[in-house]
Amino acid sequence: MSSLPTDTDVLVIGAGIAGLCTALYLARAGRTVAVIDRGEPWGDASGANAGTLSVQIKRPEVLNITRRAVELWQGFKAEFGIDVGFGRPGGLRVATNEREIDMLRRSQVEQRELGLDTEWLDGNRLRDLAPWLGPTVTAATLCDWDAYSSPLQAGHAIIQGARHAGVAILGAAAATAIAEVSPGYRVTTGAGTITARVLVIAAGAWSGEAARMLGIDLPVSADVNMLSVTEPTAPLLDRVVTHIGGILSLKQYPNGTCLIGGGWQGRGGLSTGVKEIGYENLLHNLRVAANVVPALARLRLVRSWAGFEGVVPDALPLFGPLPGRAGVYVNACARGGYSQGPALGHLMAELITSGRTSLPMERFAPKRFAA
Amino acid sequence: MIEVDLAILGAGPAGLAAAGEAVAHGLRVAVVDDNPRAGGQYFRQPPAQFRRDGGSWFDKEATRVAELLRVLDHPSITYLPDTVVWDVPAPDTLAVAGGERSGRVRGRALLIAAGAHDRPVPFPGWTLPGVISAGGAQNLLKGNRIVPGRRIVVAGNGPLLFVVAASLVRAGAEVAAVVEAAPINRRLLHAWPSMLAAPKILRQALDYRLSLLRAGVPVRTGMTVVAARGADAVQDAAIAPIALDGSVDRAVSETIACDALVVGFGLTPSVELLRLIGCELGYNRGRGGWLAVRSDRMETSVANVFAAGDGAAIGGVEIALLEGRLVGLEVAARLGRAGNAEQRRAALRDQLDRTDKFRRAIEAIFAGPSHYLGLLTADTVVCRCEEVTHGELQARQAEALDSMIQLKSTTRAGMGRCQGRNCMATLASIVSEASGTPIAGLNYPRTRPPVRPIAIGDLLHEPIPPPDLPADPHLPRRQNAS
Amino acid sequence: MSDKREQRVDDGLDRGRAFQFSVDGETVTAYPGESIAAAMLAAGRAAARRTAKRREPRGYHCGMGVCWDCVMVVDGVTDTRTCRTEAKPGMRVETQHGVGQRT
Repeated sequence: MSSLPTDTDVLVIGAGIAGLCTALYLARAGRTVAVIDRGEPWGDASGANAGTLSVQIKRPEVLNITRRAVELWQGFKAEFGIDVGFGRPGGLRVATNEREIDMLRRSQVEQRELGLDTEWLDGNRLRDLAPWLGPTVTAATLCDWDAYSSPLQAGHAIIQGARHAGVAILGAAAATAIAEVSPGYRVTTGAGTITARVLVIAAGAWSGEAARMLGIDLPVSADVNMLSVTEPTAPLLDRVVTHIGGILSLKQYPNGTCLIGGGWQGRGGLSTGVKEIGYENLLHNLRVAANVVPALARLRLVRSWAGFEGVVPDALPLFGPLPGRAGVYVNACARGGYSQGPALGHLMAELITSGRTSLPMERFAPKRFAA
Repeated sequence: MIEVDLAILGAGPAGLAAAGEAVAHGLRVAVVDDNPRAGGQYFRQPPAQFRRDGGSWFDKEATRVAELLRVLDHPSITYLPDTVVWDVPAPDTLAVAGGERSGRVRGRALLIAAGAHDRPVPFPGWTLPGVISAGGAQNLLKGNRIVPGRRIVVAGNGPLLFVVAASLVRAGAEVAAVVEAAPINRRLLHAWPSMLAAPKILRQALDYRLSLLRAGVPVRTGMTVVAARGADAVQDAAIAPIALDGSVDRAVSETIACDALVVGFGLTPSVELLRLIGCELGYNRGRGGWLAVRSDRMETSVANVFAAGDGAAIGGVEIALLEGRLVGLEVAARLGRAGNAEQRRAALRDQLDRTDKFRRAIEAIFAGPSHYLGLLTADTVVCRCEEVTHGELQARQAEALDSMIQLKSTTRAGMGRCQGRNCMATLASIVSEASGTPIAGLNYPRTRPPVRPIAIGDLLHEPIPPPDLPADPHLPRRQNAS
Repeated sequence: MSDKREQRVDDGLDRGRAFQFSVDGETVTAYPGESIAAAMLAAGRAAARRTAKRREPRGYHCGMGVCWDCVMVVDGVTDTRTCRTEAKPGMRVETQHGVGQRT
């Protein structure tokens, strides 16, 4: 483990996907950057998600950010030599009843207006393309943007890549106090004190706590998302699978394991630090999965786990300057933030280095919640 | 949902003894066990189809077993064999699944009597077919009356080695050598007096030792297996001296031809369920490593969750039986059903104390090397499931990805179907040695359900109320209380 | 492969009537109630599978269903733990190569 530098251009609080990508692109732009984390780097939402990089399940407001992100995910290897276990098999977003088919149609029309074309599949065409789908699945849209990466592999790869780019990354270094100095901020952590001209709060579910150290209230709460992984098996499904109701996210990795998510909530919360499996919700999650892909019922479940994901009431990203605190930025709480992470990091680096972003991001500014 | 006074995981000695005591006081009891037949590892029985005349050395416990198993026919007992406890959704509830049945068993008290498994010690060749754990060899003998080879080396550390070796000899196999890492011979003299505290076990121990002497089995002490070799199965074992600080002198290794190598470096309590419940655990190498912190009534740090037998701390069958009875009695007393519990408790405690004195003596005799990391080469597989070698772990350590959690997530060590049972202890040793942090101070990866791999379809038999979902799938969902 | 009867301990025991099953096409003898792994070991067959990455042989190891090293293809079903599965007359048991096909 490296130690904390005493001084840096930019200090990023939070070593998840948003923080590490912000740091990576800032370092490439020539800034000295340090990233601190209260626990293990990559320890929460970035490590505890299904690895789905699905564009078509995103709400319209973040569709373009996610498309940008998929391109960056795909380019990590060529650009930085970072192997995140990326695959882009395209994804099926499925519907299992009339109401869901109706939702899926409306969503497809809406996405087309935003420039995202998906293919409508039903009947024999759907069976031919995905014979592994269960009989309850009656329609799906196919999106060739939908991809995946491996959260496990990506964590290690991005941490090493950022270190290679010169970023100092330190775990077990929770920020305990932030003081304004001139110029910049002095941050006291569990592993020493560091002064930075610019602060980026990318602490996911703990971003509210970090902002409070600067006297700003942000309405951040935590979801407790559950994930499950099966034993490895021979190739079974060749697409990323999601559900129009937002209740399933499923894929098979090259090592043969199937990862099952879908935003089902476990037990616990930030105040207690508890993040445990919710028994009934886990069974709901598994039932939906086995309903959509019946062969899953014969696979053994090997591990289920849960992680905190920061969320704000409108479930849109917190992205932009923290109101009233010059030089402090927030990049956190994007729902489905794993898939958007590289784009949000890239855009944040743009904002810090040039004051502008190449996609419109004003609507995500934290000031929307400032009283 | 099955509702009882006492829900027991494990139909081994501790679980059955607790059940017997509890039903004797009028409690309703559920016993869940993932084996098709009750008895646990120690009292493992051959299949019902085997016709036994009872005269065999291997049937010497038959009367005691029959008596212990009789409790399962009691009308107050719900017995669920072939059933896995895969989660503990609340500290009074076991989530169970087996065959066409899944659901929950709720008890006013829980007893976790999960038993133990062999402490994994990797060395070059330990993955070869024919290299069998001591527990595995015992199960083969007890459950099938079959020995794993015709010329067998028995190596490792601890009293179980001698039990296994003697049983193999009794079964007619050739035991080429017993290789014991601890220098037990020089310790035996001091230990005699305390061993007299439990004459019955002592007699048994002498019987084992005599069997080996009569068969002329060489007992090599202060030595360890350092490699198993063979093409498609083990053909020979290399042994070398090992010191108590773990250093191995390969320069003086010798080779013993064999077609089976039984390895046992002691047992480790299966504490996964206790971890999952959040019971406080302690670390005591002599009793198997991680173990349950308990009151003198066998209650864990979580109220009304009890732990007993080898699944709480390695102590052997007699201790497991006594602890189980104490738990049954205590739960009955708490529910006002035990009458003069004090007298019975004192008697059980007294027996337990005497047996524990014997156990401590044995523990002192067999105290082994502080670690076995000297057996590892770069190409030694540490995680059997994901095939992660020691060299791969060292490469991550060199990149400063050196905590247990980082080693696990970057190499996949511990992520396979054995769920870390065969490698986490080694990972802990490796990280502890490298960092100087005692094993008890390491940050362990969390234990998560399912505690055993289980087919997804097997979990879906329980009817549960439909979920409460928001109309807009993009909005956050409500957390689930259960 | 012949029935290596001497690895069976028949002191005070009648196993009943022997039967045959096949392992990779070869005949193996078993007695009612024996596990596949036990009958194979008694016949001198220790290897159950080849691993996915290193293509190494593995066999019966923990004997209590937790290590998953003894899995084989039993009557077409992959990843079957032979230490916990009873041998039956006529059963077809095959070496498992790499990951199974549970579907």
